[in-house]
Amino acid sequence: MVTPDKERAAEQAVPHSFKKKRGDNYFMEQKKIFSEPVKYDLTFAREIYRLENGSYIKQCMNCGLCTVSCATRDVMEYPPRQLFNLIKLGKKEEVLTSNTFWSCTSCCTCKARCPRGIPIIDVMHDLKKYAIEYGYTDYPQAAFYKAFWTEMSSRGKMFEGGMTARYFLTRGLDEIVKAMDMKDVGISMLKHGRMPLLPPKKIKGLGGLKKIISKAQELDRKEAAR
Amino acid sequence: MRYSYYPGCSSEATAKANAHSIEGVAKALDVQLEEIPDWNCCGASVASGVVGDFTQLVVTARNLAIAETKGLDVVTGCSSCYMTLAVANKKFKQDEHFRAKANEALAAAGLNYNGTLQVRQFLDVIINDVGLDKVAQKVKKSLDGLTVAGYVGCQTVRALPFEFDDPEQPVFMDRLMEALGATAADFPMRARCCGSSSTIPARDIVLDLGYKIFESAVAGGAQVIVTPCPMCQLNLDAYQSLVNRKYGTNFNIPVLFFTQLMAVAFGLSLEDQAFKYSIVSPYEALVQYSK
Amino acid sequence: MEKKIAVYICTGCGIGDALDIDALSKVAKGEFKVPICKTDGQLCGPEGVALIKQDIENDGVDTVVIAGCSARVNYDVFKFGSDKIVERVNLREQVIWCHTADDEDTQMLAEDYMRMGLVKQKNMNVPEPYHVESFSRNIMVLGGGLTGLTAALESAKAGYSTILVEKEAELGGYVGKMYKQVPMKPPFTDLEENCIPNLVKAVEDAGVKIYKSATVENTAGAPGMFDVTIKQDDGTVQERVGAIVLATGAKPYEADKLGHLGFGKFPNVITQSMFEEMAVAGTPEASKVAFIQCAGSRDQEHLPYCSAACCIESIKQALYVKEKNDEANVYVYYKDIRSNGQYEHFYMKAQQEGVVFVKGDVTEITEEDGKLTIEADDKTMGTTSLADEFDYVVLANGMVPTAALGDLMEEESTTDEAAAACDEPKASTPPIIKANLLNLVYRQGPELPALKYGFPDSHYICFPYETRRTGIYAAGVVRAPMDMLSAVEDGAGAAMKAIQCVEVTEKGEAVHPRSGDMSFPEFNMNRCTQCKRCTEECPFGAINEDEKGNPLPNPSRCRRCGTCMGACPERIISFKNYSVPMVGNMVKAIEMPEEDEEKPRILIFACDNDAIPALDMAGINHMQYNSWVRIIPLRCLGSLNLVWINDAMGRGFDGVLLMGCKHGDDYQCHFMKGSELAEIRLSKISETLDRLGLESERVRATTVSIMDYDKIPAMLDEFAADLEELGPNPMKDFQ
Repeated sequence: MVTPDKERAAEQAVPHSFKKKRGDNYFMEQKKIFSEPVKYDLTFAREIYRLENGSYIKQCMNCGLCTVSCATRDVMEYPPRQLFNLIKLGKKEEVLTSNTFWSCTSCCTCKARCPRGIPIIDVMHDLKKYAIEYGYTDYPQAAFYKAFWTEMSSRGKMFEGGMTARYFLTRGLDEIVKAMDMKDVGISMLKHGRMPLLPPKKIKGLGGLKKIISKAQELDRKEAAR
Repeated sequence: MRYSYYPGCSSEATAKANAHSIEGVAKALDVQLEEIPDWNCCGASVASGVVGDFTQLVVTARNLAIAETKGLDVVTGCSSCYMTLAVANKKFKQDEHFRAKANEALAAAGLNYNGTLQVRQFLDVIINDVGLDKVAQKVKKSLDGLTVAGYVGCQTVRALPFEFDDPEQPVFMDRLMEALGATAADFPMRARCCGSSSTIPARDIVLDLGYKIFESAVAGGAQVIVTPCPMCQLNLDAYQSLVNRKYGTNFNIPVLFFTQLMAVAFGLSLEDQAFKYSIVSPYEALVQYSK
Repeated sequence: MEKKIAVYICTGCGIGDALDIDALSKVAKGEFKVPICKTDGQLCGPEGVALIKQDIENDGVDTVVIAGCSARVNYDVFKFGSDKIVERVNLREQVIWCHTADDEDTQMLAEDYMRMGLVKQKNMNVPEPYHVESFSRNIMVLGGGLTGLTAALESAKAGYSTILVEKEAELGGYVGKMYKQVPMKPPFTDLEENCIPNLVKAVEDAGVKIYKSATVENTAGAPGMFDVTIKQDDGTVQERVGAIVLATGAKPYEADKLGHLGFGKFPNVITQSMFEEMAVAGTPEASKVAFIQCAGSRDQEHLPYCSAACCIESIKQALYVKEKNDEANVYVYYKDIRSNGQYEHFYMKAQQEGVVFVKGDVTEITEEDGKLTIEADDKTMGTTSLADEFDYVVLANGMVPTAALGDLMEEESTTDEAAAACDEPKASTPPIIKANLLNLVYRQGPELPALKYGFPDSHYICFPYETRRTGIYAAGVVRAPMDMLSAVEDGAGAAMKAIQCVEVTEKGEAVHPRSGDMSFPEFNMNRCTQCKRCTEECPFGAINEDEKGNPLPNPSRCRRCGTCMGACPERIISFKNYSVPMVGNMVKAIEMPEEDEEKPRILIFACDNDAIPALDMAGINHMQYNSWVRIIPLRCLGSLNLVWINDAMGRGFDGVLLMGCKHGDDYQCHFMKGSELAEIRLSKISETLDRLGLESERVRATTVSIMDYDKIPAMLDEFAADLEELGPNPMKDFQ
């Protein structure tokens, strides 16, 4: 029988090297993250509230269940509830340059647990989109996301080879060098027939799909303008 | 039992083993899967981060609209596809405003979806439509003596919590493994995240989470990990060596789709068992069960 | 008149297999010469009951002793009319279920219980109910706010003549002055129109007799016969009522003490009630308003408790601002939002309307050009946060019960006798605040005793509306801080308790926890020494005093706990069916084996309210403990008279254990003070025991709650082991 205690213990089972790293981040919420006083200004918040799932942010009651549930809490700059509060404070730069929403893996744990029913992962999707729109694309994830979408929308299907190529093209040489130690992975994938070198055929209805996409985006824009 | 089948992009690349074993198991259990014609990528948990929820859900719904003409419920073997398809489907059913708006977009390609179908995970179909009794009857080579960590992952049970299993402590995978004669490992990390698509942009997340999952599975005595999710399978199988390198561990635990173990227990063909796609070799662990 | 006794031994539930029933019958027939002694395989079945009824009818049996299950079960089956005595000997829960079957010691235990039961009935008489003269069924409600109006309406609707006394010129209280009210019904999200006007009309239509601008000059008497003097501008009126609901409400905490939050310094720092007044006059146009929660509450310097209603009241007022101007920026600074129960929906509604909730402590409020700035220690951000340009800052300044407003009653002047008594340890007496609400003509003081923070004591675990004055029920925010929904429930609940009180008082029965009990204490005044112990120790103030110090009992105020009986050094207080000699004779009825038989005996006095149920529970769960124990149930440990312990030690018992309820601030004693008083009395005899060469550790007190049943075997076995170490009681030799 798996008890919550056991589950927690397993989640916290970390090797020595990782522990140290964790220690740096774990108490971040208690750490003063601003040396200057922060000032409440709702202008930015009102803009975010207008995003598809943005108004859910208002419902946060600061319980912190999202923070303790998050798979990537160790690397997140601001846990979700703190990010939501930053939005209410009007800290646009801090919000959009943070790695919080880029670190989200859409594992749905916070969404399933949130006592206020906030679909946190969907809010994170909105923030990713918003960040990309406003050019906050320094995180590698932003390039990855864009590469994924371009690949998907130009073919109707995902071709990982193509996506990876696009990703590295955007990120440049450094990232490729860093990725070199992954070549083992790539080679074994190839060897086991899991990495086709040629892309799948485009879907027949690609034209229709593109029309759907542009219509959907048009409707979105219309609604946002209202 | 007939269903529309949504294979998902990974079925043609990283998760061929999933596609082959699902096909074999479905046939053995008299489950007819009819591939949705000209299906398109669901966008996973990524597309909405670029184009927004609405656009992604409409793109996903194109598949549902095509499937609806046949009137068969949609089954998929991929967690991420399941999440996007099921969430879109639920929105069509529950949110009138969304349905009207989405159908306006679908109409651009002459399509329409009324929300009449159900979207199901293949695991759900096996447990609730086929039933464990029938599964047990089909077992030719009991997996007696094999301890399996049933790694359910995230989106299968948490995309729509309580749709067919507990989102925090899922049990169906364990019951299924027991029906095959195997022992379910005490595996607290069964429904925790593996890092998903962070492999490329933020690999350390995947390695750290993978470490915890392996540690937990091994502590529970598991000889093999099974999962319903192509992303989990990929991360845990292909990156196991990098986890070992980063943490100085020597995990060597095969990671299979649960349908592959079903194929083994049912005595299906080697093609259906699809071991050849595995990077961490399952042959040693399963030599006495696989023919 | 000689009693006609019959003993019935049930052999069902395994009793017949575990015990030697013939030997048990011999105790009744032989030792006690009981004329009728029968056994039956299932006494609680129709045939068993018919057997007893037959004997009552044919042989004139008037005292029935049933040896079988616990008195806590089948009490409705073994009911033969109020003129019959029914005594139960517990052979099941406390003998066969927790001791070895077919065992010599178990058999001895069962036989002793048979003896105790037979001795007990010998010392009992059928109680005659006390009837109040010029009995009144009327119910008086003091306070015409939300709670009081609700109580009055419920009481009148139930058919009781009801009197409502309100000190102000208009009914409605605090809530009556509100612009709108928090939601009281699903979906609990929308502001509602003030309910008071309709409620007042309903109360008037129901025929409630209303005194406005009226206060209570004094309240004399007892349940069923309270004489209340009501004072109005044009003189006084007297009303006789059966029971009273106290619903005098609360007052906002004095904002003048909140200077640190800018009150009194800046005109636009205001209180919740001031904002309410402004809203009634037409909510001011405001573009930025802040609400500060726990302004005084949950603050050791001010009100240590949570005022319970302020969070949702502030949320409501925040929505006033949004209602007027939905572009307004509204902030709520809070420690924790305590929107209990369904009010979570209301909290969420305010969030959706765009009210921003800031978790943090306000550290400073400043003003510039009429606009206010708030600096706070922001808990979520872990830093100082600022917000400025506020038009108004509203302080949620909490509430103080009206019962807490007044001077503390001083201790009575010390007489020589009292000075002498001062050396003795005494039970703590609850403070009485002269709040000018009831002005009781009671020996113990004019108002209800307070527990914490000036709220009248109520046994919140078991009987939330009860106070320490029988027939007076506190409801609403005078009793505890609460929101409107809870206050409405409180008003109805207290009205129901008041109704229950007049109904049982009319029959001469006790209110709970001893509901149905018709016995009451009788005083043999010839031997009274005017020591005042009974009048002082009665937890319910049931006993007044004449000038000489003679007790003047008020039986309808009595809860029948027997605390007076335990207190009386002259042992002049007894009940028809519960007395010092009765228990003393039960102690003496227990057979005391010779020292060389190596069968120690432990006497247990166990409280009927929690300890006895817990002991039964241990039996139900078949938990085994030593069979040296002999258990005597007491109405409350407060009725423990020290002479019983003397008797027991003199008889050669190796130890005595008192099992009572928890005492202290969060006491569980059903009679408030009983177990504490018993322990205090015990401390007085330990010296005597030591002097007699008896170790004082042989007599102990312990507290158990019903949840502790699983710890009972260990408790008893541990005590037995300790006693074994001390060796046998040397008094055994003198028997």
